[in-house]
Amino acid sequence: MSEKYTRREVLGHAARGLALSGLGGVTGLLWLKAHATNAWAIDAGKCINSQLGAVGVEPCQRCATDCVLSLSAIRAVNEFSRCGRCYVCPAYFKITSAVGVDGLPSEKVCPRDAIQRQPIGWIDPDDPANNFYEYTIDEALCNGCGLCVMECKEPAGLGSVRLEVRHDVCLDCNRCSIAAVCPEDAYDKAPG
Amino acid sequence: MTLAAPVPLEYRRATPWAGRGNGPGQFRSALRGIAVGAAGIVFAAGDSIVKVFDSAGVLVREWPTERSGFCVASDDRERVWVGELSQVEVFAMDGERLEVRKDPPRLGRVTAVGFAGEDAFFADATARCIHRYDGAGVFLNAIGDKHRKGGFHIPNGVVDFAIDEEDVIHVANPGMHRVERYSVDGGQLGRFGHFDGRDPAGFSGCCNPTNVTVDARGRVIVTEKAGPRAKVYGPDGVLITVVARDVFDPGAKNMDVVVDRTGRIYVVDTVSLEIQVFEPLLRDEAA
Repeated sequence: MSEKYTRREVLGHAARGLALSGLGGVTGLLWLKAHATNAWAIDAGKCINSQLGAVGVEPCQRCATDCVLSLSAIRAVNEFSRCGRCYVCPAYFKITSAVGVDGLPSEKVCPRDAIQRQPIGWIDPDDPANNFYEYTIDEALCNGCGLCVMECKEPAGLGSVRLEVRHDVCLDCNRCSIAAVCPEDAYDKAPG
Repeated sequence: MTLAAPVPLEYRRATPWAGRGNGPGQFRSALRGIAVGAAGIVFAAGDSIVKVFDSAGVLVREWPTERSGFCVASDDRERVWVGELSQVEVFAMDGERLEVRKDPPRLGRVTAVGFAGEDAFFADATARCIHRYDGAGVFLNAIGDKHRKGGFHIPNGVVDFAIDEEDVIHVANPGMHRVERYSVDGGQLGRFGHFDGRDPAGFSGCCNPTNVTVDARGRVIVTEKAGPRAKVYGPDGVLITVVARDVFDPGAKNMDVVVDRTGRIYVVDTVSLEIQVFEPLLRDEAA
C-alpha cells in the first residue's frame, strides 16, 4: 500500500529538513568556535618577539596593526609560573630610560599602560627591591603589540610573556590578515 | 679589611680559549664553570667533563664527571670540586675521583663552590642559599636562607659567590641588583649595587650581576647578562672599569668569572662556549 503525500506535506517536510540542517550547521559552527578547533594560533618559537636567539632585533607589531578588528584579538599573556617576579621587569620598564628618584626606570615599555605592577606578599616598606612583584596584563587595554614579549624573552627576561590568540574575540577568518603578513610565518591553524 | 686602594685598570683581550666543537679543548653543548688553581692552571666544567688548561690555554688533561657540572673550584690541597645536581664530586688533580658529597634532601643544584679554612661552601640554586659544611662534610649552617625573600633572588637560576682572603663571602643577588657580603656564619656584613640601565656603575636589566669573583686586593669582578659585560669594582663598591662589553655572544648569561693571582680575568661565554681571557695592562702600557 502506497502512501500519498500532498504537495503541502512534501514542502513542509523539506522546510523542516532544511531548518534542522541549518540549525545543526549553526550549532556545529558555534561548537567549533567554542572549542577552537583548528583555530588560529601563534607559534612562540617562530614569533620574532619571543623567538630565542633573536636578540637585538626590532620588535614586530603586526599582530596589533593587521588584525581586522579595531582592537586586535591578540593579547600578551604572562605565565606566572615562569615569571621571576622581578623588582625591575624589562617587560614593564624601559630599562634604558633614565632612573627616577625612586631608583626605577622612568619610562614603561607598554604604550597603552596595559601592565599592572603590584608587590606581593609581605611588603618591605623601607626597601622596595626587597619585594617580589606580580605583573598582570589588562586584556581590555592590551592590543598584542608584542613589545613586552620582546623585552621579556631570554636573556633579558625569562620568556614568561608571550602572545596568544583570544578565541572569544577572534573571528576565525578563513584567511587571517595577521597570518598573511606575519614575517616569521608564526600563525597556523592548530587543533583546539 | 686592610686592602690596597683600587687603581684604575685596563685590560687587553687575549685570544679566546675552548669554543663550541668536538676538538680538543672544546665543549660540545655546555660550558658553565671555570676556576683557577695553583700555578695558573685553569679548570673548566661543562657537558659532563672537566677540562684542564695550562696558563697558555693548552689542554693538559680532561676527565668525565658523573653528571653535568654547573661549576668547578679548586682548593688549596689541589683538589677539584665539581658542583652538579644534588651532589659535588671531588677529584684529585689527575682526575681520580676521591669522593662524592651528597646531602639529601638539602642539596639541590650546586652552582658555585668555595672554601674558607677547612670548610666548604656550596651555592644551592634550588634552595637559593649557600650551604656551609665542615671538612668532614657535616652541615654547619646556611647563608642567605634568612633573607626575607626566602633566599637570594635569582631569576637566572644561578647562585654565585666568591670568598676573599679574609673569609668574607661575596654573593651576587641579581634580583636585587646587588653584591652582598656575608660572614661564614651567615651574618650580613654589607652590600653594594643598585639598578641603572644607563650608567655602567649600576646593574642593568631585571637581574644582574649574575656572577661574581674577588681578587687578592679585594676588588670585586662581576659579569652581567642582556648586554653581557664584565666589570671591576673596588672593595668599596665603586666601579673601577668595564673590562669588556662587546666580545660576548649577546645571548650569553650566567657567565662564570674568575681571576688569577696576576689579575688575569677569565669569563665563560655560555653561548659560544669560549673562555674569554683579559690581561691587565700595566700602567705604562695603558698609557
